[in-house]
Amino acid sequence: MKIDLGPVSRIEGHLNVRTTVENGTVIDAQCMGEMFRGFEVFLKGRDPLDAQQITQRICGVCPYAHAIASSYAQENAYGLRVPPNGRILHNLIQGANHLYDYLLQFYQLSALDFVDVTAILKYQGADPDLVKIRNWVKAELASGKPYPAAPFLPRLSGRYIANAEINIGALKHYVEAMELQKKANSASAIFGGKFPHATAIFPGGCTQDARIDLITNYQALIQEVRNFIHSKYIPDLIAVAQAFPEYWNIGASKGGFLSFGLMPMGPTPESKKLFAAGALFNGQVTPVNFELITEDTKYSKYSSPSGLKVRDGQLTPNPRKAGAYSWIKAPRYMGKMVEVGPAARVLVDYYQGNNPKVKALVKKYAGIVGIAPAKINSVLGRHLCRAISAVVIADFLLDETERLSPGEPTMAEIKVPSSGEGFGATEASRGALLHYIRIENHKIDRYECVVPTTWNGSPRDDKGQPGAMESALIGTKVKTPEEQIESLRIVHSFDPCIACAVH
Amino acid sequence: MLDRRNFLKLAAALSTAFGISNLPAPVQAALKKINPATLPKIIYLQGMSCTGCSISLLQANAPSPAALITEYSQLAFHADLSATSGKQSLNLINAFISGKAGEYILALEGSIPDQMPEACVIGDKPLAKYLEEAARTMTAAVAVGTCACDGGIPAAEGNPTGAIGLREFYKRRNIDKLVVNIRGCSVHPDWVWHTIVHLVKVGLPELTDGGSPKLFYAKKVHEQCPRYHDFQQEIFARNLGEKGCLFKLGCLGPDTYADCPTRWWNSGQNWCVDANAPCIGCASPNFARQKRIPFYRLAEAATQKI
Ligand code: SF4
Ligand code: SF4
Repeated sequence: MKIDLGPVSRIEGHLNVRTTVENGTVIDAQCMGEMFRGFEVFLKGRDPLDAQQITQRICGVCPYAHAIASSYAQENAYGLRVPPNGRILHNLIQGANHLYDYLLQFYQLSALDFVDVTAILKYQGADPDLVKIRNWVKAELASGKPYPAAPFLPRLSGRYIANAEINIGALKHYVEAMELQKKANSASAIFGGKFPHATAIFPGGCTQDARIDLITNYQALIQEVRNFIHSKYIPDLIAVAQAFPEYWNIGASKGGFLSFGLMPMGPTPESKKLFAAGALFNGQVTPVNFELITEDTKYSKYSSPSGLKVRDGQLTPNPRKAGAYSWIKAPRYMGKMVEVGPAARVLVDYYQGNNPKVKALVKKYAGIVGIAPAKINSVLGRHLCRAISAVVIADFLLDETERLSPGEPTMAEIKVPSSGEGFGATEASRGALLHYIRIENHKIDRYECVVPTTWNGSPRDDKGQPGAMESALIGTKVKTPEEQIESLRIVHSFDPCIACAVH
Repeated sequence: MLDRRNFLKLAAALSTAFGISNLPAPVQAALKKINPATLPKIIYLQGMSCTGCSISLLQANAPSPAALITEYSQLAFHADLSATSGKQSLNLINAFISGKAGEYILALEGSIPDQMPEACVIGDKPLAKYLEEAARTMTAAVAVGTCACDGGIPAAEGNPTGAIGLREFYKRRNIDKLVVNIRGCSVHPDWVWHTIVHLVKVGLPELTDGGSPKLFYAKKVHEQCPRYHDFQQEIFARNLGEKGCLFKLGCLGPDTYADCPTRWWNSGQNWCVDANAPCIGCASPNFARQKRIPFYRLAEAATQKI
């Protein structure tokens, strides 16, 4: 029986998942990206400095990651030497963006898969926010109008958390998280100019000054977010994990892991990073080599050749191509399927022993929830790794602010050469992000982006290997095949972004 | 007989002149129809968008985003927030746009691929089908962001999908429907929420020729810019990161209608020019449109260095 799960909600963009279910088990899954804009097409022939602006519009959820990847690529192409303040401000802008994204992902995008909203009806306490929500839900349900209490109801059928206290606490934090994500973004905007879509980020640094009032302001906002992460986000996550322990065994992807590393701690993008880069297969990590990435198109809606390397990338849309089922290409590393994202970022760092904090946090939380680190390849593992990333990043950002030299330059002087090329790689909140720019006659000759959900949401490659998310769905047991809350939880754990994946 | 659109216009004009309580009874009665008692619901659809506008709507300061989607409007559907998913969401969306679930305002974020319908699909059909059907039932539409208004980034030169905005989409189909344009890439949350609150509580706000509320879009960025004095005194930044008017670096404030210099972004935290970043004209209908017009003019500023 074929069942479409699309349009999938509480993700970015247009995703359908076509499942085949037999005897209550998903025996096949196809991830179908259903929106295409053609960034590579309209970037060609533009001024190279337009790129860090245009590519942010690939994704308004993680625009800063694109600005950073584009800036790194251009820095490499221009041979820019970035002043220390410039590099730190890049990190402060990008890191704050990661924090907002983790809160949004857990509370707004995922929590309603686990938390029972209707528990609020039994609320007896006096918290004004909760009383307000209770009265609102009550009035809505009594109103007799169609679709009362939307957008929080209706919802898919399935088991939700039974403990009223946990539900009500999580709902309160759902509302608080909406306020806290704003603070993280305000912090980003101090140096980025605004959010979404920062205008003050450039290759070579940031146009904003490293002023002590701005730094102090930034620190205070990040401190508030950090407190929320420790006092609410992590306890809520652990409560979800304890209520749904089976999700340590559901949703494992069946390939390797890839991370490009996050936030250089020195002047060049290649300096030692807070999270190390690497490709992980069977417990072995090897250094990343962009030449080993190819993109297949057999099942993608393009007539451009399959198997091209990033620097040779082509894009010819063919919306009605026979046999193709997605606008997403199928990138592979050494011809193999990999998962990218928080679990990959944490595992790649963990296996290299790069950042002792990462190792300590993995051990600590694995101990609390009673799992082996290998179980990180699961629905709950991805959620846990977002929280671990959040803890590590928040501490790092506060340390970074102390390394700024107020009054010193924050920008290199930019001279765009008539020709050149460069790769720029970072970790978006959703995983490994690569930009490539080639300049001829002062204009962009080729621009390529390989984006986290391009990896995770990819269709089959030419050899028929499924993408990471497809592989995680296949084999899942589902109670209500027409709805499949189990599959939805798996998809949400990847936090897919289709605007990114296709662009 | 006045149609609803003109009626709302008239009602809005009258209410500004007299205040709602002094309005003639039939006008008051009609306004009540779109009052909080029958709070119109918002069906928020995404076209070829980056979701940046939705994320920006969550940056609303006061009222908070949670209050805005429950007390000031009801967000009946939004793909990023709705608990529902899949078939259930399609049923919900279809109930509204077929006219079976009561009044609603359509909000569209993102542009429409008019030459390649397959480039934006929701569930079992292209976005365009939903928009055509909704035109028959919605109260009004709000085009959220430069993409939905004018095509935006997907319509940048080279535009492989034939991306266009909502007004153009309806014009090509001879559909006459009220579409309020809220430009910005992304929009400022106030621009959208205050327009919706205005629609609900007062009626249609006065619009510019470009179909955007004058409340926010009457003046150019340049006219309201705190560095306008520098401009007049010819105190220009020559390099990125310098103070002074950013005109020589390519600032598009002189071509862009928006109130960023007075409103600021992210709860009043900052805005582009205050961070020494030239305005890139993201609220302009021509945003990023032509390849030969770059955002920055660094070489030009540098050759004029003294
Ligand atoms: S207008 Fe800009 S921010 Fe809004 S959807 Fe379009 S590209 Fe994204
Ligand atoms: S910085 Fe831009 S908007 Fe401000 S005065 Fe100069 S040109 Fe005008």
